[in-house]
Amino acid sequence: MAKTRAGSAGTEVSLHRWSTLAADVLLEHRVHMIGYVPDEVSGHLLRRLEAEPACTVVCCTREEEAVATVAGAYLGGTRGAVVLQTSGIGNSMNALGSFVVPYQIPMLLIVSERGGLGEFNPAQVPLGHAVPRVLDALGVQTFSVTSEAEMSPVLSGAAELAFATMMPVAVVLTTRLTGGKTLR
Amino acid sequence: MNRLDAIRRIVPLLGDAAVVSNLGRNTYDLYEAADRPENFYMWGAMGSTSSVGLGIAMAQPGRRVVVLDGDGSMLMSLGCLATVAAYRPANLTLVVLDNETYETTGGQATHSGRCADLEAIARGAGLAHTATVATVDEFAAALGRALRDPGPWFILAKVEQATSFARVPRRPIYIKDRFMAALGTVTG
Repeated sequence: MAKTRAGSAGTEVSLHRWSTLAADVLLEHRVHMIGYVPDEVSGHLLRRLEAEPACTVVCCTREEEAVATVAGAYLGGTRGAVVLQTSGIGNSMNALGSFVVPYQIPMLLIVSERGGLGEFNPAQVPLGHAVPRVLDALGVQTFSVTSEAEMSPVLSGAAELAFATMMPVAVVLTTRLTGGKTLR
Repeated sequence: MNRLDAIRRIVPLLGDAAVVSNLGRNTYDLYEAADRPENFYMWGAMGSTSSVGLGIAMAQPGRRVVVLDGDGSMLMSLGCLATVAAYRPANLTLVVLDNETYETTGGQATHSGRCADLEAIARGAGLAHTATVATVDEFAAALGRALRDPGPWFILAKVEQATSFARVPRRPIYIKDRFMAALGTVTG
């Protein structure tokens, strides 16, 4: 039976089901390089991808580094995604704005939401709330996944958009989908 | 050593190696020394150059990858040294052309001239194969070994401040497309 816990928005969510769906979509689109900074919410997705022989999963010290590494992998012929929290988008601005966007290097930014429904930490709110507008200011489109049923179509559409049009595309994993982060 | 002389000296060693150059003088001098399709010129993203090289090296394990980073850029992103050490791509060589200044912004001093030993930092981050070189001959010898023996390698090359300017194409998409065509990685 899938592990579940109470979602921040008051729903029971499966920790594993959406992660498995997301991993399947990434593999279908040949997204084989994953850069990330560790995060509780994305843990299962990352473990699922690490178990996949075709995938290279790189733990980075900073999200900007993950963006640059995944961009380099694209130049080297491997499609990639960065898995990060909304706060990590803040750490990625220069790599995105002065490299990935002007060079038109496609990638997926898979962003676990902080600062929205169910947030307990005031320090997460301003940037978490601003992320879609900050990315929009750079010309980067953002799409949200609010339910398990949306996971595959939204992520698949984002992958198509990113790699067909040579742009980074962000997909926000909302707390309604993931249940959010545990206070500890 | 003079940076342009140093890069000119290593060009014959490169073969089909991919070379990523840090924005500013390293990009200018690499272009001046030898504009080749396997060069990837950065025009932005200070602090990201070595990570771009890491990504290329991991995606292209059969090809040598050389990064020409700067001291200011490396100091901005020291964490990437730990990431390179953790994944140990054998085909990656990180070169820091260290002139102890932020030359492109007007020659302000960096901490590499005051206190920070970037080779010691690289070793401390977990990189086992490192060198510091001060002459063109030493640089060529170190890079020749790095292109031959398994890495990853970290070479700190102490260079003089030297103004340079080359008319490197300020066309990011052209730079990307040409590089990917040279590597055979263009798809779609």
